[in-house]
Amino acid sequence: MTITIREVKIKQNYEHVAWKWMRYSAVALIPLVWIHILIQDILVGVHQINLDYVVLRWSMIGWQVYDILLLSFAFAHGMNGLRQILNDYIHSKSTRNVTAWMIFIAWIGITTIGAVAIIAAAQKNLAGI
Amino acid sequence: MLESIKTIFTGYFRYRGREGQISFLLHRLTGLGTLLFLAIHIVDTAFVYFAPDLYKEAIGAYRSTPFMLGEIGLVFCVLFHGVNGLRIAYFDMFKPAGWEIEPARKSVWITVIVSVVLWLPAAGVMGYNLLHYNFGLFGGE
Repeated sequence: MTITIREVKIKQNYEHVAWKWMRYSAVALIPLVWIHILIQDILVGVHQINLDYVVLRWSMIGWQVYDILLLSFAFAHGMNGLRQILNDYIHSKSTRNVTAWMIFIAWIGITTIGAVAIIAAAQKNLAGI
Repeated sequence: MLESIKTIFTGYFRYRGREGQISFLLHRLTGLGTLLFLAIHIVDTAFVYFAPDLYKEAIGAYRSTPFMLGEIGLVFCVLFHGVNGLRIAYFDMFKPAGWEIEPARKSVWITVIVSVVLWLPAAGVMGYNLLHYNFGLFGGE
């Protein structure tokens, strides 16, 4: 069996960009997520994690940047994946639009909550000590 | 609506796409499972800023036996989703011949084996912590 490889020029559109985003974010996510799990779940463990531990991590700019990257890449990748899966089962254009907007709002909302916490938690909690 | 949901499930069980179908399904299910956890995890970790007292409750829940078992499963989801994603991207970009039926089927098994091999030590450590802290084994209280 032979496979013919064709070079196809695809016009950029929204879905094309979204698809590429899934690939590129995936490459970034493998080290980001795996290292996060290795540290927090395996080397440290949930029984050693508490408020002080998180505040200490978020008082370091390096870990703040790391967690912001993790948050942005992982949640965007996941929410776009959810949208792609739902589009396999939703066929009406208007329902797809409504779903896409609901996912977009949930994504913006939860990402903002997470980002505010990462940026501001250490300042607030260290000031209290 | 009910009819279409029924079609989804009967389709998944009846279509005999073997390894390709199974890895497609696993990729979706592990992705959705991870996303569900991630959404909860972002919000409860944000309690550190918005409601520090509630964060203690959240950590308490994470230390419970059902959550710890769930986390061990979550680690497998993340590993499989990542390894399978690498396989897909690698074939697409560098080795389209990998998508021929026989090598594609074989690659699914390699993906499963690599995921399990990466998962076992993680599951071992997390299982040890679970038994140590929640069941008093290995010198735990």
